[in-house]
Amino acid sequence: MTDIEIAATLDCRGLTCPLPVIKLSRAIRTIETGAVLEMLATDPGSVPDLEAFQKQTGHTVIEQSQAEGVFRFLVKRMK
Amino acid sequence: MTDDEVKRILYVQTSGVESPGRSATVFFLAASAAAMDVEVGIYFTQTGPTLLQRGTPETLRIKPGGATLSHFMDQARDLGVRFYVCQPSLDLNDLKMEDLIDGVEMIGGAAFNDMALESDRVICF
Repeated sequence: MTDIEIAATLDCRGLTCPLPVIKLSRAIRTIETGAVLEMLATDPGSVPDLEAFQKQTGHTVIEQSQAEGVFRFLVKRMK
Repeated sequence: MTDDEVKRILYVQTSGVESPGRSATVFFLAASAAAMDVEVGIYFTQTGPTLLQRGTPETLRIKPGGATLSHFMDQARDLGVRFYVCQPSLDLNDLKMEDLIDGVEMIGGAAFNDMALESDRVICF
């Protein structure tokens, strides 16, 4: 764990493709540029999807972990 | 972001109400692309325009007992995905623009091909 300040949490547990990315795209706009969003997901597809999301949008996954079937991403809004 | 940096995907939907199982994927993928700031359009041709007939999205189930098409369609549109048809495709299905849900845009073959040339990818279903 780190001391990164989390501006908001997006709970996508139980949701399947394409909902996590869609909700992420909305949620990232609700925080300030430079702030960090915590996202929780259970769909294994969210791992490659967040990889694609950051590549295409420029927002950055600064931390990623997995525990008990839950993926946790920290996504920094870059613009 | 300058206009040149915006990526574009144009989807082409060729199936309609006759095959519900082939109707939702295009909206899933279009919504996913739009969520990544890609500019997305869906061109409905052959029997594709039947999906846009007023009253259809609310009643068409992707599989028995499953969600209706309107769920996936609305998701895509809320993210800014644009829907296009052309007149011959409407004629083929005995449809008029006023039979369709709101917001569908009419284009022609030249405009479609221009869109295809201006897009980064064209994906056909």
